[in-house]
Amino acid sequence: MEEEKRENGAEEQLVVFQLAGETYGIDISTVHEIIRMQAITDVPRTPDFVEGVINLRGRIVPVIDLHKRFGLVSGEKEKEDSKIMVVEVNNVIVGMIVDSVTEVLRLPTKNIEPPPAVISTGVDAAYLRGVGKWKDDLIILLNLDKIFQKEEQKELQESMEEVEELAQ
Amino acid sequence: MNSDFDVSQYLNMFLDEAEEELQELEEGIVLLEQEQQDKDLLNRIFRAAHTLKGSSASMGFEDMATLTHDMENVLDRLRMGKLTLTKEIVDLLLECLDALKILKENITSGEKREVDVGSLSDRLKLAASRETGAPEKGPKRPAAQRKGETKKTTAVTNSEVEINEDMLQFTEVEKNVIQAAEVKGFQVYHLVVNLQPDTKMKAARAYIVFNNLKDVGEVIKTVPSAEDIEAERFENSFELVLITNEDEDRIKNIVKSVSEISTVTVKDITLPAGAQEEKTGKKEVTEQGKGNKTDGDKGDAAFQTRRKSNQTVRVDVQRLENLINLVGELVIDRTRLAEVSSELKSSLGTSELLETMEEVSVHIGRITSDLQEEIMKSRMFPIEQVFNRFPRMVRDLARKAGKDIDFIVEGKETELDRTVIEEVGDPLIHLLRNAIDHGIEKPEERKKLGKPLKGTIKLKAFHQENQIVITVEDDGRGMDPEDIKKKALEKGLLSEEAAARLSDREALQLIFRAGFSTARKVSDVSGRGVGMDIVKNHLEKINGIIEIRTDRGKGTKFIIRLPLTLAINRSLLVSSGGRVFAFPLSNVVEIVHLERGTVKEIQKREVTVVRGEVLPLYWLNSVLGLDSGSRWAEEKVPVVIVGISEKRLGFVVDELLGEQEIVIKSLGEFIGQVPGLAGATIMGDGKVALILDVRGLIDQSSGEESHEYAS
Repeated sequence: MEEEKRENGAEEQLVVFQLAGETYGIDISTVHEIIRMQAITDVPRTPDFVEGVINLRGRIVPVIDLHKRFGLVSGEKEKEDSKIMVVEVNNVIVGMIVDSVTEVLRLPTKNIEPPPAVISTGVDAAYLRGVGKWKDDLIILLNLDKIFQKEEQKELQESMEEVEELAQ
Repeated sequence: MNSDFDVSQYLNMFLDEAEEELQELEEGIVLLEQEQQDKDLLNRIFRAAHTLKGSSASMGFEDMATLTHDMENVLDRLRMGKLTLTKEIVDLLLECLDALKILKENITSGEKREVDVGSLSDRLKLAASRETGAPEKGPKRPAAQRKGETKKTTAVTNSEVEINEDMLQFTEVEKNVIQAAEVKGFQVYHLVVNLQPDTKMKAARAYIVFNNLKDVGEVIKTVPSAEDIEAERFENSFELVLITNEDEDRIKNIVKSVSEISTVTVKDITLPAGAQEEKTGKKEVTEQGKGNKTDGDKGDAAFQTRRKSNQTVRVDVQRLENLINLVGELVIDRTRLAEVSSELKSSLGTSELLETMEEVSVHIGRITSDLQEEIMKSRMFPIEQVFNRFPRMVRDLARKAGKDIDFIVEGKETELDRTVIEEVGDPLIHLLRNAIDHGIEKPEERKKLGKPLKGTIKLKAFHQENQIVITVEDDGRGMDPEDIKKKALEKGLLSEEAAARLSDREALQLIFRAGFSTARKVSDVSGRGVGMDIVKNHLEKINGIIEIRTDRGKGTKFIIRLPLTLAINRSLLVSSGGRVFAFPLSNVVEIVHLERGTVKEIQKREVTVVRGEVLPLYWLNSVLGLDSGSRWAEEKVPVVIVGISEKRLGFVVDELLGEQEIVIKSLGEFIGQVPGLAGATIMGDGKVALILDVRGLIDQSSGEESHEYAS
């Protein structure tokens, strides 16, 4: 690792996790903490992928289900080693349910390629930042900004509007 | 004058102070119009203008300084009795005040709104020159202004000099020194030195003056203080007290030899008899000494305000907010601790250790409660902050409307949470405007009706149980339910049939409908038909309730009830569909247990009758869209009756869990506002419960209704 660093300089530190049989990675600096699965209070009138809220040491944190967010078929739901990754993107704190968290690693930037147009996992390419090669594995790098921004807000907006329409 | 760094450092402090002074000015000037002869009041206003002048000049806000300076001159002549107070002067002063406010706003916002300081300033000068006595010649101040300085007043005086009139107050030590000097045959002089207006290095000039005087005697006191003079924190004049053997003329010449000195007055000082007695008498009783001072009134007032300001600390609002949050955490943990200790007790039985723990837990509970209360108190402000701007507004509006109104304010000191204070201002403005525009009749009309010519509007605030009650009451024409119905019909707010069914009380509620306005004419401040519904919305946002009492021909009274605070709420916890929800207790009217048989269905809606009133029923579960709910699994269900304003709705829940104090937390930016939910809270067991927003729920439920009708 140290040698690699000296050779290439640029590298990214990633938190790697499993979701529906694929390996994903996100930039470590966005990850606040990783906590065990716990009871989630569901909040009515929120988009489907919003599982609800949890109490994180006195703070109310929303939790989303990445399976639903990406439209993946959820396998065995809430396995023993399911985790909630608490991330902060643009000052918004959100918990994401993932199947398991595998490791933290440094990936040389040169190993990262832009996302292919068609990807087998079914995750919208817009949510991807690229694909990293690590040993024999491929790590799908997520673009959290995208996941939590625009689309998300649009969807939230739409669901709000629906509710409002209902109310009228 | 100052470097940029210095200015920015003091800017906030200056702005806070300026706000206070402006408030004081406004209050004073409006009062002045009624109590023309009040000397103390004039002095207070004058002092406020003076302080503002000083601070704005030292901050380098020239326009503000110029304007306040000219205001000060007018005020000064008023309090000297050289100028009689007229309506024009009051208007002019208020105009200047508005200009000052804009100038201050400009500083805060960085905008550049035009203010014609020049013309205001000219008008002020003109006003000041219109005096009762001879015009041009410099105003000669009555010599016996104060007991202590009866002797010859020499040299030219100008308005600058008089400003410092009340400043010469001596401490015990200074009095001793002066008396000792007098005994030894020295002269004690009070010097007022005026620099030329455009003097560049004021501190340097002052320094030279001091230095020169040191050769002939001893300077025992300066006004302002030596530090202030050194730092150039003074206007064009300063005062000093000199002990010397020389005579007046010599002293005058010494001072005048310094360049850029425009005038200097030298007065002989003899300590007032009172001070002497006091000295020979009870030296140690300082309190009494203060009371005996010449200029007692003013001096004491100034002293007290100074003392008061020393005892307070300005704290960033955010910091208080954080404290409240932290205490909120503690409150939650306190509850958890109590739960754990009782659970331990039931599973382990009693032991000494457990008992100690219970003791500790109780103690922590008590301390937390105290802490919570204290911090809540620190967030409380007297409602004065809001009320203070009303007298001016009422006066202006009344004049514009051609009405004569007595505005009475009571309970200014009533304290409430700052978040509530921030929200309550606008609704009150609307209510007052309505009272002036639509409530109070014109003087002619009142005469015909045999009412006193002067209308009365009374604004009152007080505590009642856990609420703040604010009332706005006028003795005007009142409201007629029939008129309101007619108006609502015209506006198409309801059908004729519906109108006929309305009770008087319900008819009055129509004024809170959007698009309703009873005013025949639209004035520029009220009667745009937006007023009352906005009032209601605003108040409901802070969990307030508004009621109307009106008597045709006799007047109208609006009663507003507000919670003491918004941060911590007493709530009713209920469960529905296996989830826990919290109803803010302020919205809960009552709880009833209903039997299946008492529920009827009207137009596909379940309703019941509680004490003669029809109550629509909703299942909390289905309103929230959680599930359609197992309806009527039991023969008897608990129903929470909630109310906002006059609306009453019943929500069927599974179980009542009890009352608890909760801290409201937002659901976070990511989820945002969810209709029907006010936020979330963390319960004693660490779980999250959702707090219901009753207003949202009601809108939702009635919305659902109309939706059904439509389909």
